[in-house]
Amino acid sequence: MAPARDTPFRSADMSMVQLYISNEIGREVVNALGELGLVQFRDLNGELSAFQRAFTQDIRRLDNVERQLRFFHAQMEKAGIPLRKLDLDVDTLAAPTTSDIDELAERSQSLEQRVSSLNDSYETLKKREVELTEWRWVLREAGGFFDRAHGSVDEIRASTDNDDAPLLQDVEHNNTGPEVERSFSGMNIGFVAGVIARDRVAPFERILWRTLRGNLYMNQAEIPEPLIDPTTNEAVSKNVFVIFAHGKEILNKIRKISESMGAEVYTVDENSDLRRDQVHEVNARLNDVQHVLRNTQQTLEAELTQIARSLAAWMVLVGKEKAVYNTLNNFSYDRARRTLIAEAWCPTHDLPLIRSTLQDVTNRAGLSVPSIINEIRTNKTPPTYLKTNKFTEAFQTIVNAYGTATYQEVNPAIPVIVTFPFLFAVMFGDFGHACIMLSASLAMIYWEKPLKKVTFELFAMVYYGRYIALVMSLFSLYTGLIYNDAFSKSMTLFDSQWQWNVTAGWREGQPLTAVLKDPNYRYPFGIDWRWHGTENDLLFSNSYKMKMSIILGWAHMTYSLCFAYINARHFKKPIDIWGNFVPGMIFFQSIFGYLVVCIIYKWTVEWPGQQGPGLLNMLIYMFLQPGTLDKQLYKGQAGIQVFLLLFAVVQVPVLLFLKPFYLRWEHNRARSKGYRGIGEQSRVSALDADDEGDNGHAGNGRHSDVSDGEGVAMIAQDLDERGEHEEFEFSEVMIHQIIHTIEFCLNCVSHTASYLRLWALSLAHQQLSAVLWSMTMGPALKMNGVVGAIALVVTFTAFFCLSCIILIVMEGVSAMLHSLRLAWVESFSKFAEFGGWPFVPFSFKLLIEESEDLADYLG
Amino acid sequence: MANGWSIFIGLAIIVAMSLAAWFFSPKGENQVLWRSSLILTFISCYLMWAITLLAQLHPMIEPRRSDIRPGFEHH
Repeated sequence: MAPARDTPFRSADMSMVQLYISNEIGREVVNALGELGLVQFRDLNGELSAFQRAFTQDIRRLDNVERQLRFFHAQMEKAGIPLRKLDLDVDTLAAPTTSDIDELAERSQSLEQRVSSLNDSYETLKKREVELTEWRWVLREAGGFFDRAHGSVDEIRASTDNDDAPLLQDVEHNNTGPEVERSFSGMNIGFVAGVIARDRVAPFERILWRTLRGNLYMNQAEIPEPLIDPTTNEAVSKNVFVIFAHGKEILNKIRKISESMGAEVYTVDENSDLRRDQVHEVNARLNDVQHVLRNTQQTLEAELTQIARSLAAWMVLVGKEKAVYNTLNNFSYDRARRTLIAEAWCPTHDLPLIRSTLQDVTNRAGLSVPSIINEIRTNKTPPTYLKTNKFTEAFQTIVNAYGTATYQEVNPAIPVIVTFPFLFAVMFGDFGHACIMLSASLAMIYWEKPLKKVTFELFAMVYYGRYIALVMSLFSLYTGLIYNDAFSKSMTLFDSQWQWNVTAGWREGQPLTAVLKDPNYRYPFGIDWRWHGTENDLLFSNSYKMKMSIILGWAHMTYSLCFAYINARHFKKPIDIWGNFVPGMIFFQSIFGYLVVCIIYKWTVEWPGQQGPGLLNMLIYMFLQPGTLDKQLYKGQAGIQVFLLLFAVVQVPVLLFLKPFYLRWEHNRARSKGYRGIGEQSRVSALDADDEGDNGHAGNGRHSDVSDGEGVAMIAQDLDERGEHEEFEFSEVMIHQIIHTIEFCLNCVSHTASYLRLWALSLAHQQLSAVLWSMTMGPALKMNGVVGAIALVVTFTAFFCLSCIILIVMEGVSAMLHSLRLAWVESFSKFAEFGGWPFVPFSFKLLIEESEDLADYLG
Repeated sequence: MANGWSIFIGLAIIVAMSLAAWFFSPKGENQVLWRSSLILTFISCYLMWAITLLAQLHPMIEPRRSDIRPGFEHH
């Protein structure tokens, strides 16, 4: 029966429960369950739109509060006030009461008004300030024109009054000297002064010129400092202009044109004393405005700083509260009894905990009506809930990335915890690189807490997989020792089994061949270091690694296939054992199991003349010409091979037909005894009659007054939206089985070949690190003296950096992806169904972790 | 010291370690995790070691190199 506890071996037992909660404490109950995070509520109001639901008003109100809070945040960012971030590991937030939330809503309402009124007045003042500044500039610049112009009033008058005046009179009278100050008004010349954006000056001038036909004199000066436009907050550089023209009409026209061009026209007095007064006045007003502006700014900042302290907490509270109401919207409400009814999935073994939580909430509220939690029977597929811990979380994630395991099937993550890092290490085997990787992963685990806060995405990913990296690097240490490779150099840990066969006349440069030292001694751990750097080292290691890949692949797949047996046993489907597992296993073992046996056998036998039979040819001949042999491996080989081949071939029809025909036979037997599926017509009418007779339907078509197990179970069946009662259709089962058979048989071949990637990647890794050494450290170590020392420092830096970047990071990632594929495809296809749907409990913790809105507010 | 029999001695050691892992895994809901991971680790490592030893048991080729300097030929 069910184990006493949920283990990571398969997904937890789930129960569907029905909750009856008094309307008054609905919010508190959902709050408490959200903190607990073990319950996934079902939507009982699927037919209602979002607007028709009971708590939409509350959600809207909270949305508004949230908007206000975001507004504060935007204001803070504008003012450069830092937000005090909320660290949920340190701060805990008490569950808010309804009045807390009301208070928060009111407070943020009034704060919003205050902030926006401050903002408004700030903007008005700012505008005023800009105007005054512009005016001051106009006064200053225009004053300059006037002062210059007054010096030459005479010439201007002369040129304007007398049309006959010689054009060069100016030059002639140039040195008449300054006269007493005269007024322009006497000349009937008026002027317009103002400020215009610099990029509009040219069109402005052109338009004026064209409309007034050149009857104007325009003078302009650049304002050196850019002015801030209060509406857009952008700096705009502007020019001061003064336009002199003749006659009122024309002046009016100029005014209109300048206004339409977006220029600001300011009054400037032509009299220099008055102008001086004006300047003084403007300066005084500017000072006042600036003073008020500073005060406003300070008040605003003080207000925002105050808000900044608790904004993050408010944001989280509002987020939670919204989630609570969204959940409450999934409940159905029984008006007659003022009760909320909810349906939910939860782990069976956590039911007592949920029950006591409910009890607590009810007691605290001082309610006499108890909340009821009722387990109901259902034929719906429960969600897959795989409990994880810090260590298994990342492994489970890479499995879930492929799919969600079927409810209660063997958790594919269990073997992955070892096989994934191990197969990685077979490809990555290098002691030195593994050491670096190990220290990195240990560092990440040691500084687990502080590093958790790092938000840099790439690092966060590596950090998330720190335990995978730990196991991977530990296995890589081991495989590095086996391959006898540390940064492509060998380690002489034990005595070699070889010694050089030095003949008497040997000179340097002549090839040396090794011979076995002692017929009874073999290198005890890993590859003999004597192979390192030899000419035929690849010949040996390729044959060794290829065979090892095949053996490891065979072991991995056989092991995975065994889980199919465990699954069939657990789901009590003996036909899956006899129709799928047994013939599949026989098929696989009689071909590839045999190959592995041959590989091992060939190793254990001494081959005279050092020419053993080729195993690859043997396998090919076994299929193409059964009974003939290229070269005999052992006595009676031909007969055994023919037998194994036939044995394997016979499994194909078994695999094809046993299961579908058994299922059909079983189905027919059940039908002949009179059983029918629940979804079939005759049965449904009986149920309906029953329903109408016994129980009145509540407003929304739901039974509100049933509490006994039988009736409730029937409701659950009524609500079956997933339609899980499938008709038995022989053709479908048959097609499914044909596909399965073809896939299985072909995959046996292709998957075994696929494990050769273990050889290919480990070869690539080893060769790359050898090349890197020979390009950096190798030549540097041959140099002498100071040059050698400098070269060593330089090349070591290059060697270390390239080792880390190329050999550890890039090669590591590629080995990891290949290992991931071996887990996902080669292993999972043997046993896992991946037909489940994930359990997503209503949990504040998950909610806060996953919310992107809240990410800004959390430290 | 190490020869063909080492395979079986290694196997005996691994079996002993696996039994120890089975019986001494910490109790609790993660017991199955401890057991499966430890035993799988032992078996994987044993497999790799045994394959390596077997591959060198009856070598068909010998190491050969021609860049050996005089004085190192007996190392």
